[in-house]
Amino acid sequence: MIPRITFHLSWLVIAAGVHAATLSLQSPRVTISSSDATQLLSDTLPSIKRPEPLTLGASDILKLTFQVTENGEGKGVQPHQTFLRFYDSVSGEEGIQPVRVTPGGKAKFELNMARPPASLPPTTDRPLAVSLILGSFVHDPAKYDLFDLYVPTSSTPAPHPDEASFHVLPPIVHTFRPEQKLPPKVVSIVFAALVLSPWAILLGLWGKIGLSVPHLVSPRILPFTALLGAFEVLLVRYWVGLKLGQVLLYGGILAIPTIFAGKTALATTGEWRAGKH
Amino acid sequence: MAGPKTAKLSSPPTTTPPETSVAVSMLWESYMQQTPNRLKLIDAFLAFIVLSGVTQFVYCVLVTNFPFNAFLSGFGSSIGQFVLTASLRAQVNPQNRSEFKDVSPERAFADFALGSIVLHFFVFNFLG
Repeated sequence: MIPRITFHLSWLVIAAGVHAATLSLQSPRVTISSSDATQLLSDTLPSIKRPEPLTLGASDILKLTFQVTENGEGKGVQPHQTFLRFYDSVSGEEGIQPVRVTPGGKAKFELNMARPPASLPPTTDRPLAVSLILGSFVHDPAKYDLFDLYVPTSSTPAPHPDEASFHVLPPIVHTFRPEQKLPPKVVSIVFAALVLSPWAILLGLWGKIGLSVPHLVSPRILPFTALLGAFEVLLVRYWVGLKLGQVLLYGGILAIPTIFAGKTALATTGEWRAGKH
Repeated sequence: MAGPKTAKLSSPPTTTPPETSVAVSMLWESYMQQTPNRLKLIDAFLAFIVLSGVTQFVYCVLVTNFPFNAFLSGFGSSIGQFVLTASLRAQVNPQNRSEFKDVSPERAFADFALGSIVLHFFVFNFLG
């Protein structure tokens, strides 16, 4: 039992020791050369003090070389993640560029302004803060603020073809025709009387001719007349408030007795007519 | 050419009014004497429908067609009812018996009632 415990403990100690180990940068070096390979600047970055801002021309090439070591010793390690971050603190725009690190911890990054990478954020006349971010499973993460970098102002991006459809549309204004007006009450009343006046003429004419309905109350005629009246009442109810389906349903129900009543009534009148003739 | 024509045209007015009035009065008399009372009832109803439709149309032209659906249903009901009633009159007229041998007056009235109900259904449907 005892040897086993010590074995486990020893592993823990090792793990803790590895975890405590930190990553550090060895000999970071920045070089700026123009497009015709003349070296404009070559400098070792001081590890503590922030250097003067660097300026990059429109066709210059910036080279950054460094080695990642463990605890500042000579032995290089390969961090699991290595990023260069370009950050504009005013606009908040940033660009993250992964950097390739060899197993020996050596890395080389090249920024050619003639063909700037897509990860470079939109730039203005302000400098970009360049920092290096190292991430590892077994080491503490590390972040180094390397230098400030003046980059030529980026051209304004071309508008997206769909850009126009992302604006607020002008509010839709509906124009309605003016409300139609009813005529004055007097005109309405006069014409209502005019339209109703034919009823008086009709009743007068019928009275003159001598309208007589001797069989109206006969039990064979009355149901038919009453059912026809019921149909008209149903249609008036339809106007007042019934729905179409209800009217069709009630009408269908009403039609059945009406058919029989009509047959009886009209057969009866037919007999009377035959008897008369 | 123009002279005789105007002369011809100017002469009739002096003689025509008595002739037309005579013709109209004769027509009226024969109508009153020879038409059965039942047909007179129908004719009165037809006259009522015509007057009713005309007044509605006059209102629409002179004042407003504002509740246009109401005008349409009212005027349409006048026209439809006139057509139905006229066909009823044609079918029950004893003088047309030879043309409507298969249609008894009762059958004609049943058609009239059915057609009227369908027409009124549409009229109330439009009335709004």
